[in-house]
Amino acid sequence: MGRKGRMGISHSSSVTLGAPTYIFRIFSVFNVSTQLNSTRVAREMVKLCVLIAAVSLLPILCLSFSPENPTDRRVLVLLDDLSLKSSHSIFFNSIKSRGFDVDFKLADDPKLSLQRYGQYLYDALILFSPSTDRFGGSLDLAGVLDFVDSGHDLVLAADESASDLIRNIATECGVDFDEDSSAIVIDHKSFAVSETEGDHTLIVSDDFIQSDVILGSTKVEAPVLYKGIAHSVNAANSLVLKVLSASPSAYSANPSSKLSNPPLHSGSAISLVSVVQARNNARIMITGSLDMFSNRLLRSGVQKAGDSNKYSKSGNEQFVTELSRWVFHERGHLKAVNLRHHKVGETDEPAIYRINDDLEFSVEIYEWSGKSWEPYVANDVQVQFYMMSPYVLKTLSTDQKGLYHTSFKVPDVYGVFQFKVEYQRLGYTGLSLSKQIPVRPFRHNEYERFIPTAFPYYGASFTTMAGFFIFSIVYLYNK
Amino acid sequence: MPIIVISPLKQSFALSEYLLPAKTSDSFWPSMAAAAETSSDRTLRNAFGSVLSFFILLLIGVLAFSIRLFSVIKYESVIHEFDPYFNYRVTQFLTKNGIYDFWNWFDDRTWYPLGRVIGGTVYPGLTLTAGTLWRILNSLNIPLSVETVCVFTAPIFSAFASWATYLLTKEVKGAGAGLTAAVLLAMVPSYISRSVAGSYDNEAVAIFALIITFYLYIKTLNTGSLFYATLNAIAYFYMVCSWGGYTFIINLIPMHVLLCIVTGRYSSRLYIAYAPLVVLGTLLASLVPVVGFNAVLTSEHFASFLVFIIIHVVALVYYIKGILSAKMFKVAVTLVVSIGLLVCCAVIAVLIALVASSPTMGWSGRSLSLLDPTYASKYIPIIASVSEHQPPTWPSYFMDINVLAFLVPAGIIACFLPLSDASSFAVLYIVTSVYFSGVMVRLMLVFAPAACIMSGIALSQAFDVFTRSIKFQLPGILGKSEFDAGDTSSSGVVAENDAAKPDKSEEKLKERPSRKNKKKEKELVEKASVEKTSTKSKIEKRLLVLPLEASVIALLLLVFLGAFYVVHCVWAAAEAYSAPSIVLTSHSHDGLHVFDDFREAYAWLRHNTEVDDKVASWWDYGYQTTAMANRTVIVDNNTWNNTHIATVGTAMSSPEKAAWEIFNSLDVKYVLVVFGGLVGYPSDDINKFLWMVRIGGGVFPHIKEPDYLRDGQYRIDSQATPTMLNCLMYKLSYYRFVDVDGKGFDRVRRTEIGKKYIKLTHFEEVFTTHHWMVRIYKLKPPRNRIRGKTKKSKTKTSATSSSRKSVARKKNPWH
Amino acid sequence: MARSTSKDAQALFHSLRSAYVATPSSLKIIDIYVGFAVFTAIIQCGVVSVERGCEKELEITVREREISKKMRKVVYMAFVGSFPFNSFLSGVLSCVGTAVLAVCLRIQVNKENKEFKDLPPERAFADFVLCNLVLHLVIMNFLG
Repeated sequence: MGRKGRMGISHSSSVTLGAPTYIFRIFSVFNVSTQLNSTRVAREMVKLCVLIAAVSLLPILCLSFSPENPTDRRVLVLLDDLSLKSSHSIFFNSIKSRGFDVDFKLADDPKLSLQRYGQYLYDALILFSPSTDRFGGSLDLAGVLDFVDSGHDLVLAADESASDLIRNIATECGVDFDEDSSAIVIDHKSFAVSETEGDHTLIVSDDFIQSDVILGSTKVEAPVLYKGIAHSVNAANSLVLKVLSASPSAYSANPSSKLSNPPLHSGSAISLVSVVQARNNARIMITGSLDMFSNRLLRSGVQKAGDSNKYSKSGNEQFVTELSRWVFHERGHLKAVNLRHHKVGETDEPAIYRINDDLEFSVEIYEWSGKSWEPYVANDVQVQFYMMSPYVLKTLSTDQKGLYHTSFKVPDVYGVFQFKVEYQRLGYTGLSLSKQIPVRPFRHNEYERFIPTAFPYYGASFTTMAGFFIFSIVYLYNK
Repeated sequence: MPIIVISPLKQSFALSEYLLPAKTSDSFWPSMAAAAETSSDRTLRNAFGSVLSFFILLLIGVLAFSIRLFSVIKYESVIHEFDPYFNYRVTQFLTKNGIYDFWNWFDDRTWYPLGRVIGGTVYPGLTLTAGTLWRILNSLNIPLSVETVCVFTAPIFSAFASWATYLLTKEVKGAGAGLTAAVLLAMVPSYISRSVAGSYDNEAVAIFALIITFYLYIKTLNTGSLFYATLNAIAYFYMVCSWGGYTFIINLIPMHVLLCIVTGRYSSRLYIAYAPLVVLGTLLASLVPVVGFNAVLTSEHFASFLVFIIIHVVALVYYIKGILSAKMFKVAVTLVVSIGLLVCCAVIAVLIALVASSPTMGWSGRSLSLLDPTYASKYIPIIASVSEHQPPTWPSYFMDINVLAFLVPAGIIACFLPLSDASSFAVLYIVTSVYFSGVMVRLMLVFAPAACIMSGIALSQAFDVFTRSIKFQLPGILGKSEFDAGDTSSSGVVAENDAAKPDKSEEKLKERPSRKNKKKEKELVEKASVEKTSTKSKIEKRLLVLPLEASVIALLLLVFLGAFYVVHCVWAAAEAYSAPSIVLTSHSHDGLHVFDDFREAYAWLRHNTEVDDKVASWWDYGYQTTAMANRTVIVDNNTWNNTHIATVGTAMSSPEKAAWEIFNSLDVKYVLVVFGGLVGYPSDDINKFLWMVRIGGGVFPHIKEPDYLRDGQYRIDSQATPTMLNCLMYKLSYYRFVDVDGKGFDRVRRTEIGKKYIKLTHFEEVFTTHHWMVRIYKLKPPRNRIRGKTKKSKTKTSATSSSRKSVARKKNPWH
Repeated sequence: MARSTSKDAQALFHSLRSAYVATPSSLKIIDIYVGFAVFTAIIQCGVVSVERGCEKELEITVREREISKKMRKVVYMAFVGSFPFNSFLSGVLSCVGTAVLAVCLRIQVNKENKEFKDLPPERAFADFVLCNLVLHLVIMNFLG
């Protein structure tokens, strides 16, 4: 369309300033540039080192955690003191029995390290060290967050003595513990009936999240015993889910002091157990009760106040086990592979489509069962044919074996489109696939030809041509 | 014809003066001239004349080519500027994939995600030319790279253009003027600015096409041959292929035809020159995909159709007039006029209705801005934002055409002295192009050839007069002059011949329109011509009264003027116009500094990013990014989609978060900004920023220009508005800038920046070139986690926070 | 007044005819050819208007039958829409071009026309043929 690039036509030579002041400038420029150079060299060196390390550790990485085998294998448990190891042994044993390598360490162990040579040594972290102010070794808040941001899982349990560090970790994940460090959850209605009439801090709750994926397909019958602090989640935060909420009568306050102000957190806004699924599918479970995992509560029977139903065993064991299954990716982990598309009647994937082409699209989706990939069956998987906005939105039909497919017509618009599969379901890892594909307009010889309506014009053209010949002959012979 | 050819003899002396500073072989001329003098035979002289003019033309070609090589010598053989990179890329595609794929090329690497149908939106003339050139060279086993061919296309075609100028001016005013004009055109700075080696743009071939089309039109007009009419249509086709400026032709020629008809100069040659051109030209133009049906549907072309109808009516009238007696004709006129008026009214009504029904009244924005200079700035910021669409300033006239500006009026007068069809065309050409060049700097390019032609005519006429008067002042030598006197005499003779000839041809021209009874007229003509020549010679004598000294001084002055022009042109070619703008240099006392930041940045992009990554930048750099970095861009210099550009403009003028969202929705991975604050490169993005705001605000009203101005002033120092200080462009330009000198002194704006410590939350710097001229940022991925509401407690130990910071820089510093 | 004009007109036609009879036969052939081309062009324009007329009628019937309305609309669009435009253009322009070129030839070979004395009619005809070849080549290209 002609030249418009010459924005600075009058400037084209203007860097040649020529003025004496420029001498000075050049000097400064060169100083700067040498500095830049040296820092750049250093940066490059670092990069190189990282690269080498990455290459050398690649096999280990492949073994430890791969998309092919998303379940965690190595779990690090950080404890305040090692007695927790025995007091929470049921929970740990259930993890171990599922094939995890569990490594116990004190939270202030000076040799504590999550990674070595840039590689993480663990796939999941269980923080049962609520009172730790500082981790030992090189681990700190950012270290934990980086651990999560690189796709690893985290279980965090706090209690009344939760330190700032633990609170900060929770906050970074979108969970806010009650800022009042002495407050715990009190419920004068749905507390656990016990021998001693206590202060109603051991509460029961059965307000579970309605999700088979997170809590397993068998329903948790017995309510869960809970003793600990409250937290809240931001409703606008789409990544955090309240798995276990307090009853409407619960509130968060210091049980030993008299309530002067209305409590900050109350009712079912109080979340007892929350899970976070980060955008990179790292899973985090946060709760304000370390006791919830303890052998004592796992074993004890439960009777809700005012409820005659007495369960011989609390729901805690089933609840925490199922939840840990989910957190450790033994459930609800999807993968989509073999995104394919081709024209109807062909099998090869074209590099470009033409407008109004008919195409077939297919994708395979599998779910990780903890041991193997099983076909995922659902009827709500959709594909978008997307360019700034979806031009085509179709629900994929499945063959029950993991293959989803559909066919549609390319819209009458050219441009660079994308096949997009966005599948976000509660509890499942998010699937977000996109594949770019350009759509071109008709080629110049693909338009319709020999249209009947145009025949008169064809006729006219050819008549004139014939006329020209006849005329030439007549004219030439006339002389 | 043969007599005119001699005049180069005379011209050659003038020419040798011109050519001297331009380092062409000056020793060549005297020998040839001497050779010419020794021959008393007229035909031999003619032969020498034509040989001589041939060699002169050859040398002009060499001059035109070589004066444009400064850029290659001073810099290197690279493609310049912005648009040429696109053309280069297209040519590469063409040479690789062939013409059919080029025709159907849908480019998915620009205008993401819309894509662009290159084959249907590009003027293919230039690329086809260069592609053909490359193919020919390759088939001759000359393995030049496509880039080399592209670099040298413009100089080659400027040589062609100067030859075409010779032909055109020869048709108008004889060979002497033709040669002068050709020399002038070979060096005119305005044309050099667009055709230096490496400036691989449409204009490079379009000017040649323009001149050759005009030449063929004049040629057809002078000869009345259908053959030339056909060639004319084909030349017009080539012009349509090459440049959008073809509308100038299709409006200028009808104007000329109309002028001829109105002034009673209608002849059947005019009909032959015009009618086939319209029909064939329109058909051929519709074959070019980018023009297509526009050739008949937009009102830029309606003028030609209107004149086409008029010329038919006029032709019919003349024909009937020819076969009828005067009385009968009168009767016919009364009859026809009454009917004709009705028909005309109807036709005009239909035309007006058509024009009114077509969008924007059928005129494209750019053409409208030609007619109404304020149109673009009022309605289309995207057109107004381009500096070459601005009206030129007077210094730029002097810069671009130099002394020609003074010679043009003289040339116009010379054209009027004996007004022929051809010279009236030349006059019309210069008048319209002066107007257009006054509207838009870019059209200076159309004006330059006209100025050259006019100046060539003026110069050659002046030389004519002066040499003639000198000759007549030296009557004693006159007899022998042809044998021994040297330059003055021979040129004088030539001048005499030359002077006589135009008169005769003039007579011929004048008699043409009226052809009632041939014999009578013939006699009359002969008589008239005899009379005229006699009167003319008297006039000549009167003219020759110029004193010897005066004419010698005037000659010297003219030569001096020419020398000044040459010096200026060489300077312009060497200094002003040969900078490729992709490589910049600066002179300082310790030598030459080269700023090669652009290529550094593009190379970084090419080597460090994924093939399918999208790079967002202001549209100026779109072509270069696709061509040099081979990455997909959002907008580029082909500004066909205002909304898309406005989206990028909005993103650049939004705060970081909003900008991130816009870019993310366009799948952008990298953002490229050009920053000149460190080295004082003034055409950087901060200086263009107001246009981004304007264009963005034109589509998205929440961007308001006053928000970025403090009291109507555009400033970036501490007085700048908060909107300005928080917009993305500001942040990306000045991020870390204070680290350089501790103050953040911007050398372009000559002030300290207003916000020195800038923290980026949604973007991260990934590359900054050596002189900071190009900075590339990467969009950070969306946060992995969403933070809770609670404020971070301050009790953290210092060790934690510091180490966290360092890690955060690398990973995910969203906190 | 009316009589005088009619008389004048008659005289005019008379003189026109007599003047025309005097033209050489080769020119008459060209004239016939021009007439043929113009006629073809007019017919084509006629076709367009007839088609449009037909479509209007069609539309009336369409109103009666609501169901087929959309289909008819499509048909209508196909007639008036841009597709056959290139065919139409090439058809009409081929006729116009032929006529124009023939007129040019006529001007050139007309012996009464002094301007082209030095142009032999053979040369003129050769130019004419060349021009026509170019024209028809382009038409063929543009037709489809």
